[in-house]
Order: sequence, then structure tokens, then C-alpha cells
Amino acid sequence: MIKKLLSVEFLKIKRKGFWFLTFLGPFGVIALQMVNYGVRKDYLLQQSENDWQYYLANVSSFTPLAIVLGIAILTSFLTSIESETNAWKQLIALPVSKWSVYLAKFTVLAFLLVVSSLLLMVFTFGFGLFLGLGSDIPYNSILTLSLYPVVAALPVLALQLWIATVSKNQGIPITTGIMGVIFAYSAYVLPDWMIWKWPTLRNEWGDPIINVLLGLGVGFLLYIAGMLDFARRDVK
Amino acid sequence: MVGILRSEWLKLRKSKILPIIFVGPLIGLFIGLTYNMDLLEGVANDWYIALMGMNFTYALLFLPLITGVLASVICRYEHQAGGWKQLLAMPVTRGKVFISKYALVMLLVMVIQLLYLASVYTVGMIKGFTTPFPIDIVWKSIFGGWVATLPLVALQLWMSMLFKSFAAPFAVNVIFTLPTILAINSETYGPYYPWGQPFMMMYIGGKEGDVFFIPWDQLLLVVGGSFVLFFLCGYIYFQRKAV
Repeated sequence: MIKKLLSVEFLKIKRKGFWFLTFLGPFGVIALQMVNYGVRKDYLLQQSENDWQYYLANVSSFTPLAIVLGIAILTSFLTSIESETNAWKQLIALPVSKWSVYLAKFTVLAFLLVVSSLLLMVFTFGFGLFLGLGSDIPYNSILTLSLYPVVAALPVLALQLWIATVSKNQGIPITTGIMGVIFAYSAYVLPDWMIWKWPTLRNEWGDPIINVLLGLGVGFLLYIAGMLDFARRDVK
Repeated sequence: MVGILRSEWLKLRKSKILPIIFVGPLIGLFIGLTYNMDLLEGVANDWYIALMGMNFTYALLFLPLITGVLASVICRYEHQAGGWKQLLAMPVTRGKVFISKYALVMLLVMVIQLLYLASVYTVGMIKGFTTPFPIDIVWKSIFGGWVATLPLVALQLWMSMLFKSFAAPFAVNVIFTLPTILAINSETYGPYYPWGQPFMMMYIGGKEGDVFFIPWDQLLLVVGGSFVLFFLCGYIYFQRKAV
């Protein structure tokens, strides 16, 4: 059942701009650095001894913002396919359980995010090579800084999907997305328990893997909560 | 015209707009209370330090992004179940509908700005600032930020009429707003970036003699120019939109 629902969801997102947005997120993050390094490369190279790490720090200052906003856009977009045309009723009337519908939506979104983080990894590596930042390429850091933030952002995804599926007015999930990006942008003043801080990979122990594990655990809990709430509600 | 405005107001009142409006001052309070003022202690007046820190995040990201949400909310009723057809079947001109919707969004932005002003004052009271409230500077910043959103709202209203979903106009907004973080660092290109203007107009470090914190030619060229462009495009699009 899940397999069929997934192919239905993937069919629904065809030719609507989902794949384009998935590409645009990581491309935009690197494009900003293309402009940044294009305008003042000499100045930026002087800023640090380790050009690769400085470049990665520049890239990853935008990654959490792009992820949080991207999640808000994609979740609202995916649920609006049903809520705009009042098609929830028709979808739920099919011989499928509500929790599997929710799982299919979540899986599609998580898949799109993973694709975009893989693209980010490729773009980061490619533009870094193009800049010629030295032969000492930090493969490990590129891998962590591209893949960890998305996993750490799973609670944000679960929360936004929950809000987007239960609100009739899509202005609400978009607004919570904006609040999320303000939190992610001010992450350095936030306490460690706030989920919007996690994609920045900061924490008081200085170990990014904690954010990844928290992301998986809390993401799962918030997903279950959202799914139970969705299954309990009346579909109008 | 008054009739259209009143009907728009009625639709808006039923649109759950209040939670969205109150996010503005809440974000203001959040930034203001978490902002670490010790770094600049003694360098300037308490109010100035607080305003610098609060306006930074508020004007850079929050204000441009929330204008897009308001523009989408105001088109929500019409996008549902053929509302455009019903609205335009009435004896109203499309131009007047467009202008009414635009005016109402700008009014909402003004309300958010005023609530933000209240949150600035609240932050000062909570932190116990003793120096007098610099009302002239604050007005300049609040009103300037509002003026700077004129072109942004015009573009977002156009996008909201073009797309049925909330996500698409918001994506457009995000694509233009995020680069502001970089653009304002550049002295050469920053002043020409329309999405950077709310920040420039609210940044209290600017020139104090003028009416606003940015020079008049920049205001007229960038804010005025992009306003005319976006407003006309949206206006013409709406005239030709098939409903």
C-alpha cells in the first residue's frame, strides 16, 4: 500500500516545480558564494589561513536558513495539492489508512530534502575546486556540513508538515516557517533545546553528531504526534 | 471604492489574520530580549544599541518575508472556489480591486510596524533603560521601513494573484530576500537592492539630518523605481488575468 501511495505522491509533484525548488535550494546557497567570492575573492582569501574551512563556513552560514525555508515551502506546497481543491476527502475515501497517507507525504518530503543535501555536497565540492582553494580538500567536512543539517532539521520538517496538514489557511504554516528562519538566523542566542538551532550543528558540547541524533529522535516523536493528530481529525 | 475597501476588510476580518499580525511584535520581543547588549555597553545610548540589534534581524528577514504572507492572505478568498469570478462579476473595475487590496496590505504592514514600535518600547521597559526614548529616530525608522516595503508588497501582490498556492509566491519572496544578508555588506551594490531597502531605511546609524536614513536619490531611484515597475506589472497582469 505504501509503495503505491508513494508513487501517487511522486506523480502528484510532477511538473509543479518541486524538483526545481529541490535543485534551487542548494544551488542558491552556492550561487550566493559565487557572488560573494566573485566580488571580493582576494579579500576573502586573506581572512584565513585555511581557505577551504573558511569557504565551508561561508557556505554553511546559509545552509540552515535555506533548509528551514525550503521545508516551509515544500510542506505547504505538498499539502496544498489536497487542501486547495478539497481533495483530502477523495484521497481518504480510497481504501488507504490515514497514517499511510501521512507517511507517504513525509517520505516524499524527506526524500526531496536528502536529494537537495546531496546536490549541496556536489555543488560545494565543485565550486570549491573551481576556486582553487588548495589541494588539501576536507572531504569529511564537506560530507558532514552537507548531510548533517538535513537530518538535524527532521523535527522542523515533522512540525511544519503537522501544521500544514491541519491548517486550512496556508498562511499559518508559512508564518511559522518565517518564525523558524528568524530562530535559525539567531541560533547563537538560542538554548540548545530549540529545534530550529539544530540544523546549524551548534551545541554546547561542540559535537555535531548530537544534533543529528536529536534530529532523528525528536523528529520521529514529532512525526508520530502529527500523524496521530492527523488520523484523529475529521476530514472536511 | 469605499465599498470595495469595506468588503475587503470584511473578508480580511474572517481570515484569521490576527495571529499573523502579532507574530511581528513577538519576534521583536524575542530578538530584543535575547540580544546581548554588553558588547556595546557605554558606546552609545541604551535605546540605540537595542534598536540596532532588533532592527537588524527584523528588517533584514522578517519584514520582507511577512509582507508576502499578508499579500497572499488577501487573495486567499478569491483563489478558493472561483472567488475571482464572483468578485469581478460585481460592478467593480479590476483596477479598483487591485488598488484596494494593495492599500489594505500596506495598512496591515503599518499596523505591524506600530506593534513592533510597541515591542521596542516594551524591551526598553523590561531592561530598565533610563535614557529618554529617542522618538524622532524611532519614527524615522518605523516609517522608513514601511515606505521601503511599498515595492515588495506590489511584487508579492502580483505573485499572489498569479499563483493559487501560498508556497509559490513565498518561494519567490525567499529567493529575493535571502541574498539581502550578503547584499547589505556591499557598499557598491547594497544600496541598489530593493529587498535590502527595509534594512537600510530602518538602520538607525544612517544620516540624521534627512527625513530618512538613506539619501533621497537612492530612495527615489531604488524604492520608487522598483515600486513603479512591480506595481504596473501587477496592475497590468490583473487587468488581463483570465478568471
